[in-house]
Amino acid sequence: MRLSGANTAIVLDSTADLPDAADRFPNWRVVPLYVNIGDESLRDGVDIDPTEFYARLRETRVFPTTSQPTPGDFLACYRELDAYERIYSLHVSARVSGTFGSAEAAGAELGDGRVRAIDTETASASIAMLALAIQRRLERGTSDEEIDALVERYRHERGLIFTVDTLEFLQRGGRIGKAAAFAGTLLQVKPILSIADGEVVPVKRVRGERNAFAELASALETRTRDEPGFQLGIAHAAAPERAAELEALVRGRRPQAELELVVALGAVIGSHAGPGTLALFWFHDDG
Amino acid sequence: MTAESDLELVRGLVGAALASLESSRARIDDLNVYPVPDGDTGTNLTLTVRAVADAVASAEPADRPALAQAVARAALMGARGNSGVILSQIVRGVADTLAESTNGIDPGLTARALRGASDAAYRAVRRPVEGTMLSVTRELAEEAERRAAQPEPLGELLVELVRHGEEAVARTPEQLDVLREAGVVDAGGAGLVELLRGLAGAVTGETMPAAPEAASAPGPDAIHLEPSRFRYCTVFVVEGDGLDRDGLEAQLEQIGDSLVVVGDETALKVHVHTDDPGAALSLGTGAGTIEGVEIANMHEQQEQREQRLSLVPSVRVKSGIVAVVAGEGNRLLFETLAEAVGTIRVVSGGQTANPSTAELLAALGVLDADEAVILPNNANVRLVAEQAAEQAELPAEVVPTESIPAGLAALVVYDGTRGAAENAAEMAEAATAVATGEVTRASRDVSLSGLAIRSGDWLGLVDGQPVAGGDDFAHVAFEVVSHLLAEPRAVLTLLTGDDPPPLDGLVERLASAHPELEVEVHEGGQPHYPLLLGAE
Repeated sequence: MRLSGANTAIVLDSTADLPDAADRFPNWRVVPLYVNIGDESLRDGVDIDPTEFYARLRETRVFPTTSQPTPGDFLACYRELDAYERIYSLHVSARVSGTFGSAEAAGAELGDGRVRAIDTETASASIAMLALAIQRRLERGTSDEEIDALVERYRHERGLIFTVDTLEFLQRGGRIGKAAAFAGTLLQVKPILSIADGEVVPVKRVRGERNAFAELASALETRTRDEPGFQLGIAHAAAPERAAELEALVRGRRPQAELELVVALGAVIGSHAGPGTLALFWFHDDG
Repeated sequence: MTAESDLELVRGLVGAALASLESSRARIDDLNVYPVPDGDTGTNLTLTVRAVADAVASAEPADRPALAQAVARAALMGARGNSGVILSQIVRGVADTLAESTNGIDPGLTARALRGASDAAYRAVRRPVEGTMLSVTRELAEEAERRAAQPEPLGELLVELVRHGEEAVARTPEQLDVLREAGVVDAGGAGLVELLRGLAGAVTGETMPAAPEAASAPGPDAIHLEPSRFRYCTVFVVEGDGLDRDGLEAQLEQIGDSLVVVGDETALKVHVHTDDPGAALSLGTGAGTIEGVEIANMHEQQEQREQRLSLVPSVRVKSGIVAVVAGEGNRLLFETLAEAVGTIRVVSGGQTANPSTAELLAALGVLDADEAVILPNNANVRLVAEQAAEQAELPAEVVPTESIPAGLAALVVYDGTRGAAENAAEMAEAATAVATGEVTRASRDVSLSGLAIRSGDWLGLVDGQPVAGGDDFAHVAFEVVSHLLAEPRAVLTLLTGDDPPPLDGLVERLASAHPELEVEVHEGGQPHYPLLLGAE
C-alpha cells in the first residue's frame, strides 16, 4: 500500500508534548494521558496546560501521579480516524509507561489491522520529531517498509540529553532507571541524563545550573552538525529563560540545521522530570 | 435465569468487588514495585472496576451474552495502568465463558471461566512473568479445575479460592526477585484476591476476613524504597508486659520517620529511621527489655537500595575513594557524593591533624573495591597519601587535592564503575578547575599590601596567600570571593567551620554583587577555618 498524508494518520500520546498536533497536520491526533493531583484526574494538555500545571505544582505539597490512557481512549481516537487506511500510533517508551500497551490492546480490539502501534523507546519532543520524520515521508509518498526502517534507525541514531533540577521527581515516580545511583546528594549536583533502550540513564554530574547548561551546549557542539537535514528540538519544564538561551545558542551555532520544535514539557512528563528540566534533542534526517 | 436477575446479580457482585478493592487500595498501592515502582496498582484496579460498576449501573442488556459483552467492554474501556489492562482481560475471559452458559454457576463453569480468564490474561502480555497477577490467575484456575468435579455451593467454592489465592500471592516473592528484595508480595495479585474476596462475601452474605497482616504489610525493606532524610535505620524488639504500642509509636515519631511498630502487649517490633539511634533504644528500654538490635547506616545502604528501586542488578565497584577530611559535615558531604556512585572510606584529619601512612593503609585495606583513588585534601597530607598508594595492596592513585572544596569538586566527577586511573585523570582536572580560598584568624601580626593585620583579626587567603584582613568578617570573606571570581565561575560553595560567624551579611552582599552566582552554604564543621570557599 502506498502511504500518504491523505490515507495515513499519526496518533501521538500527550507525552510527545505536542498538544497542537491536530492543528499542525489534519492527519495527526493526540490521546492524553492523565495527571492525578490529589483527587482530581485531569487530561494532560486538555484539562490542564503546562502553565497551569507548574503553577499548581508550586502550590501543592502533594506529588502528582500519572495514568496511561485506557484502551477505550485509543479506540475512540482510532474510530474517529475511520477515513484513514493506516494509523501510526507512536508512544512513550514502554519501559516507563503502559501507554503503548493500551494502544496495542485498542488496535487489537479494532481488529482490522489498520493500527501500527510503535514503542518509540523515548519521550517528549523526541517522539514528536519521529512523527515529523514520518510525516515528511507521507507527504512525498511512502510505504510501511520504509517507515519501519526509519523507526529502527531513529531508535539507534536519535540523540537526546537533558538535565533536571532535582532527581526527586524521577525517583518519586519510579522512572529513574539506571540513573538511580545519581540520587541522594547534599550538594546541588545537577545530573546530566539521557534515555537509552527506553530508560533514563546517567551521563555525568556537574555542580550548579550554569554548568549543567554548559553540558547541553557542549553536546550541541560535539554531537550535532551544522548542515541541512539536521533536526534539533528543545523542551523545558517551567524554564522559559533557559530554553530561550538554548534556542539562541542553537540558532547561532547551527544556522543551517533546522530547529523544528521548542516545546514546554506537559503535565505528565513534567510530573516525572520536575520543574527546571531542560532538554536538547537531535536527529539527522535527509527525508 | 432471566436477564433481569442476571443484571441484579452482576450489579451486586461488581459493587462488592469494588468495595473490597476500595478498602485495600492504599495497601496495594504501597506494595507496588513491579513493573514500575510508582505505587498506583491499587488505584488503577479500583478505577478499572469502578468503570465496570458505572457501566452496569446504567446498562439494559437484552440477554446474558449482551450483559457479558457490556461488562467486558466496560473493563477494557476503563482499564487503568498495566494491572487494569490485565484485569480487563481477566474480566473478558470470565464474561465470555459465563455468556455461553444458560444455567447457574456451578464448579465446572467456574473452572472454565477462570481458565478462560487465565488464557486471556497470558495472551495480553508479551513476556509473561511468574509471581504476578498472571500466575495468581493461573493458580486460581488450576485450583478451580481440581474442585470442578465435586458439587459445592458457589459461595464455599469462592471462599476456598480466596484462601488459595492468598497462598499464591504469598508465594510471589519466591517467584520474582524484585519482590523478594523489596520484601513485598505482588500488588496486582494481591488486588485480584481482594476483588475475589468481595465476590465471595457477596455470594455467601458474610464478609470475609481481611488478608492476613503478615502476608501483606510491607516489610521494613519496602519502606526503604522511600528516601529518608535520616541517617540510621534502627530495628529492635521490645519485650515486656502490657506494652503500650501507641505510646511507644508516638514517642518514636518525635525522633524519626519511616516508623513501624507492630506486635502485641508482650512483644513489639520497632523499625525507625533516625539520626539518634541511642534515643530510640532508650525509648525501648523505657518500655521493656530490648533485643535483636540492628542499626544500619543508610547512606551506606543507599546505593543498594537505589539499585533495587531501579530494578537493575548491582554493579561491583571497580574503584573506591579514600579521602582525608576534617569536620563531620564535610565527612557527610564526601560520603553522600561518593556513595551515590561508588564507595568511600573517610580518614579524619587535615591541617593540624595529619593522618599517618598506616591510617591510610588501614582505610585502603577495608575499601570494598578493586582499586582506589586517594584524596589528601591538604598539601601536608600529599606525601603520606603517595606513600600509602605505593605500599597499598591494591592499585591506588593519588589526586593531589589541596583543600576540602577541591576534593568535593573532584568527587563530583567520580564514577565507581570506572578504574582508578581513569577516575584520577578526570578528577584531577576537575580539582584544578576549582578556585579555593579560606578565612581564618591571623595567628600573628602580618602586613599585607600596606595593610596591617593584627593577631586575632580575620585573615582571608586564596591558594594559601593572604589577600584580605581586618575585623569585619563579611568584608574579608567578600574580598576572598572577589579574588575567586577573577575568572567567570558559576557555583560558589561555602563550608562553615566549627563556631562560625554569621554569614547573613556575606550572603546578602554576594547576592547583590553577583546575582548570577549560585551560592551554596553547608556546615562543614572543620576546625581552624571558620570558612572554606570553592568556586567552580
